[in-house]
Amino acid sequence: MMRSITFLPSYRKIDVDRGTTILDAAQHAGLNINVVCGGLGKCGKCVVFVQSGKTEFDQQKHSRFFTEEELKNGACLACATSVQGDLLVFIPESTMIQEQKILIEGLETEIEFHPSVRKYYVELEPPTLANPSPDLSRLLWGIQKSGGPVAEKMYAPLETLREIPTMLRHSDWKVTGTIALVPGGYRLIDLQENDTSKRLYGAAIDLGSTTVVVYLWDLVSGKVVGVASNYNKQISCGEDILARVNFARKNGLSKLQALAAESINTALTTASNTAGIDRDDIYEVVVAGNTVMTHMLLGIDPAYMIAEPYVPVVRRALSVAANRLGIACNPNGGVFAFPAVSDFIGGDIIADILSCGMSESDGVSLLIDIGTNFEVVLGNKDWMFSCAGAAGPALEGGEVLFGMRANPGAIDKITIDPETLTPVFSTINGIKPRGITGSGLIDLLAELLSTCVIDRNGRINTGITNPRIRTSSHFPEFVVAWAQDSGIGKDIVITENDIKNLIMSKASVHAACVTLMKEAGISRHDISTIYFAGAFGNYLNKKNATTIGLIPEIPYDQIKNIGNGAVTGANIALINRRKRKTLDEIASKIAYIELNAEPAFMDEYTSSAFLPHTDLSLFPQVQKMLDACRIQRE
Amino acid sequence: MGFNVHFDWTGSIGEVILGATKSDGGSRRVSYRIGGGTTLPFLDKNPSSPAPLIAFEICDNPVFWSPIIRNYCGELVNNLQEWAKAGDATYGADMIRLYLTSTRQRNFSDFPAVGKAVETALSATSLPLIIEGSNDPKIDSDIFQKCGEVGQGERLLLGTAEASRYRSIAAAALAYNHALIAQSPIDVNLAKQLNILLREIGIQRDHVVIDPYTGTLGYGFEYSYSAMERIRFSALKGDTDLAMPMISSAPDTLTIKEVREADLDGQDDMAVKWEFYTSLAAAVAGAEIVCVRHPKTIGMLKLAFASLKTGTGSMEVT
Amino acid sequence: MALKALDIYKLLPKKNCKECGDPTCLTFAMKLAGGKADVDLCPYLDDTSKTVLGATTRPPIRLVRIGVGERSFAVGEEFVLYRHEKTFYHPPGILFKVSDAQIPDEIASVTKRVRDESFIRVGADLRFNGIAIENTSNSADTFAKSVETVEKMADLPLVLISSSADALTAALAHCGTYRPLIHAATNKNFKGMCAVAKQHGCPLVIKARHLDELGQLAKDCTAEGVQDLVMDLSPASLRDFISLSTEIRQLAITRTAPDLGYPVYFDATAGGMQDAGIVIGILKYASVIVTNPLLPSSAKAALTLRQNVYTDPQKPIQMNPGLYRVGTPGKDAPVLMTVNFSLTFFTLEGYLESTRIPCFMLIVDTEGLSVLTAVAAGKLNEILVRDSLIKFGVESEVSHRSLIIPGYAAPLSGRIEEATGWKVLVGPRDAAEIGEFLNEEWKK
Repeated sequence: MMRSITFLPSYRKIDVDRGTTILDAAQHAGLNINVVCGGLGKCGKCVVFVQSGKTEFDQQKHSRFFTEEELKNGACLACATSVQGDLLVFIPESTMIQEQKILIEGLETEIEFHPSVRKYYVELEPPTLANPSPDLSRLLWGIQKSGGPVAEKMYAPLETLREIPTMLRHSDWKVTGTIALVPGGYRLIDLQENDTSKRLYGAAIDLGSTTVVVYLWDLVSGKVVGVASNYNKQISCGEDILARVNFARKNGLSKLQALAAESINTALTTASNTAGIDRDDIYEVVVAGNTVMTHMLLGIDPAYMIAEPYVPVVRRALSVAANRLGIACNPNGGVFAFPAVSDFIGGDIIADILSCGMSESDGVSLLIDIGTNFEVVLGNKDWMFSCAGAAGPALEGGEVLFGMRANPGAIDKITIDPETLTPVFSTINGIKPRGITGSGLIDLLAELLSTCVIDRNGRINTGITNPRIRTSSHFPEFVVAWAQDSGIGKDIVITENDIKNLIMSKASVHAACVTLMKEAGISRHDISTIYFAGAFGNYLNKKNATTIGLIPEIPYDQIKNIGNGAVTGANIALINRRKRKTLDEIASKIAYIELNAEPAFMDEYTSSAFLPHTDLSLFPQVQKMLDACRIQRE
Repeated sequence: MGFNVHFDWTGSIGEVILGATKSDGGSRRVSYRIGGGTTLPFLDKNPSSPAPLIAFEICDNPVFWSPIIRNYCGELVNNLQEWAKAGDATYGADMIRLYLTSTRQRNFSDFPAVGKAVETALSATSLPLIIEGSNDPKIDSDIFQKCGEVGQGERLLLGTAEASRYRSIAAAALAYNHALIAQSPIDVNLAKQLNILLREIGIQRDHVVIDPYTGTLGYGFEYSYSAMERIRFSALKGDTDLAMPMISSAPDTLTIKEVREADLDGQDDMAVKWEFYTSLAAAVAGAEIVCVRHPKTIGMLKLAFASLKTGTGSMEVT
Repeated sequence: MALKALDIYKLLPKKNCKECGDPTCLTFAMKLAGGKADVDLCPYLDDTSKTVLGATTRPPIRLVRIGVGERSFAVGEEFVLYRHEKTFYHPPGILFKVSDAQIPDEIASVTKRVRDESFIRVGADLRFNGIAIENTSNSADTFAKSVETVEKMADLPLVLISSSADALTAALAHCGTYRPLIHAATNKNFKGMCAVAKQHGCPLVIKARHLDELGQLAKDCTAEGVQDLVMDLSPASLRDFISLSTEIRQLAITRTAPDLGYPVYFDATAGGMQDAGIVIGILKYASVIVTNPLLPSSAKAALTLRQNVYTDPQKPIQMNPGLYRVGTPGKDAPVLMTVNFSLTFFTLEGYLESTRIPCFMLIVDTEGLSVLTAVAAGKLNEILVRDSLIKFGVESEVSHRSLIIPGYAAPLSGRIEEATGWKVLVGPRDAAEIGEFLNEEWKK
């Protein structure tokens, strides 16, 4: 006989057999009720109120959990109450499993803690002639009772099945099951003797072509327990991606696949050692990497993707058993790889999108990820356009005489005194300057412009009499630090050629932004937020980035740095399975625009190769500021 | 019924004055006010709107000049005074453009000679002059200073400022109140950028003539044509940084294959036609001054411009 | 004004069903916006949206084909006022005019010239398009004979100019099946002209003095069953032509006056300034230009101007990368590297030829970008130069290891030296100075 139960306050309805417990019914209805004791009526956490209908519940036996008042209002324990008639049941909020909220580094809002992998410790009744249900259903039933998914929705792969009978008996029916939510349903990926439920870890990984970053999470407490990074070992096969694809073409893919896995393993080991945990307790690894890196890690040939018409092999997210990729975590653990859109818009960019939340917003956002290549995404919850291009290494400090990465001694912030033209700067670790980082170069360019040392074309005005302005054998240059003050024993300068390279780089980025805006038919006024991701995202001075015209001018407080969005996105996908589920949808929503095929791009580029831009009306605030500076100088 | 075409122009081309007459403190017999257009070229309903000016190009050292012109003009090319005079009186040009090609010799330093050449041109003709300075940034400052000084009061058009070297010529133009040519490589954005740079060092808008660089017919002319159209279009749409008159000169015309390799007896005709087609098309795109080197092109262009200006040269209507 | 991808996207079902062949509605919208897909590919679009989208993709100026076979040409189907907005698609036909009062030998020689003469520039074969025969004799028989003379010699597109329906009928007996363009119907004779044109399926020129008369005439002629129309604006002067033709183009492309959405006919012989007429006709939207036979100089200039103006401004013309020889260079000849933008190539080649110094030109593949832009965009780099030196076997052609690079590529000189092991000489920025440079720097 079926009985109909309606749960309040959600009004969720379900039909169940007469005699079913309210707890089971609630679980079937997808409501997660807190059961600490596993449904044995011992903990008193699963309090519900039956508002109407017939039940069986032993009030006497469980009276210690309730007040008179509560009993009068129909209070009972969901696990110990059986359904007899149609019911109306109210579940107080305190009875539901509370979503834990987590603040992830680099994010302003908290993320609900809801990982895809969970462990359940169960103590099962051994089978008897009177209760002869099979081992597997006994186990899954037990997991369901401990708050796990509904037994029918779980399945065990053959590898696990083979272990069940012995392990259950050997452990005296006390085991811990690990359940992972995978595309096919809930999978029992591991079974261990005794209570190991506190030992459950996951890793979020940014697999970059230069570095690999790992965040190790305790998936029970929702805390980061270790962070590690190291170089991508594929560098031995080629500095840039193209070189590695060519290496793969000549020597096969297996070495690059192995090196990608090894790079991840090294970082996993470091993080695990720091945290003092066993790598075998890592059950899930979430990887956000660019398209080529992801292909290589999965052992899929990327060769066809880097030539016209640039078609990636897969666009969806993929889940793979860790042991098939050689990832050194629990052998039954899973690897989740972010989806990609095109050869350039890869999982790392999808991760950026996830971490800035632009795909959930009504307002239009512009996301810019800058490295040697840059990627730009424009859109909102309904639509997204993306494109990518070569920024040249100048913005990372490459192709600039004294440019360097963000290592100790790198100048990362600069201002210039408009009177004396003396630079004031800070360096990483505060030691004597050895070079200038990307963010330092952006500051420098903006300051040279506002002090009129350079014109809008980036040419140094050699007519100014100041020892810092001079002409070397090749180009005019500006001395940032004198030899005696520098950490390398020689003058640190920026040359006119450096400035030209920087302008070309920033012009590419800006032109890409404008190309997307034109494609969408919107102006800078329609952009509610600009998100900066990538290497110097954290250090970037928003005002100076606008002053040189790297990005469209919008109010500075609407520009946000999201830092390493790839690892942040991976973190989110690791701890929140609902967010993870949206990734494929995000990827399918994004339209990719090939800049090389876009005739207007070259025009935008030329127009952007000026400080801040040829069309000054696009930069009204900057223009006002520069005019003021010029008047002050005159 | 009736149709109305709306272009919704909000801007107009700024005006530049070239040449100063006695009343303005100079010695020219005429002074031109160029620019002022309010719509696309030759669409102006006002019949008195000025026709494009034709400038005749000469130089002070004909070694660097095309053999076609040296053959056609003969001894004239070795006499700057007479050459300039012929451009005015015989060939009927509106302006004379003097290239100081002598400065292209290695390690040139005879700056007084430059002043002399400009003086000669000024005395040979009372038409407004365009003076083209050096090709070498190292001597720019001295050359332009000299040209500016000698031409003081005459409202010369000085050439040529580029994005990589504009400070010297701008200084001379500012000091002696001359106009200048701002040249950029066939791109509307680059043209605008140079104009902004010039504005920011104090050159007034009414002292700038844009040279978007003209590739001759068959050798990039289509890029120049579109660059000129875009400049004119932007100016009419209200972009004041592009609202200056334009000058077009296609220096490669006489050296390209079609002209160089033409039959000897047809070579002049080929040169003239190539200059004519290029110049007229440039005027249709918006050039207010077109420059030619073959004397015979001048007459042909004059006829065409006269017809385009007033609507005379009427066609047979059946 | 063309719709933006996002505007189109708003009209689409947003189902991402992939039935159109695109992964998402947005990418399909982008294709529609770029004119690269057909609205009908979407099975879920309602009629209203289809009408909105369809109206923006139908060409505003009718495509009219003149002549048949290999030499036939189509005009019209233009979308813009300025070539830089997109491109001009269909270059005007330029036809040489003869009179039926001329002796047959003269007519034959003009016909032969148009049939055979061609001029090859930048890899394209440039030709005049056909013959316009004017019925100045006022005799139907003479007109028919002249047409027969032309018709016997060549399968060229023709314009038959006569105000007599009888003369045209006689002429069409010879060429009626070859789609000659009939000139011209006026508001007085259009019924008869339309009957003739309709009978032979020929395109027809309509002629009137004012735009509203032209529009009315176009309506009348289409009502008579002639759809392929070309308009003669009867300009009073060259200036008048510029003004009328610009107005018509603007009215047509903005769809303000659909009755004026036809190609324009222009007779450049009137007014006594034929060269000026041809320039104005080509630049200002004429689609059929009739001229007297041109001198070789004007002929080359006219064809070159037409080629220039009708080049797609968004696609630079490219040369094939490779090692080119100027003269007969020996083992010690200089090697000059530059980009495969054809303009750069031809300009440099021209100057090199005039230096009379035999040399090699190493043309590297910058996808048609000029030196300046190729350097800026990173397309021209040391790897490309290194690979090109190897690919085109330059090392075996010369005994030295010196490479001359363009002045604008100077920032790359150090890196090219490192990557190639060749000594790099930075040449002038202006190709005109290459002779001087070679004489002074190379000969040292």
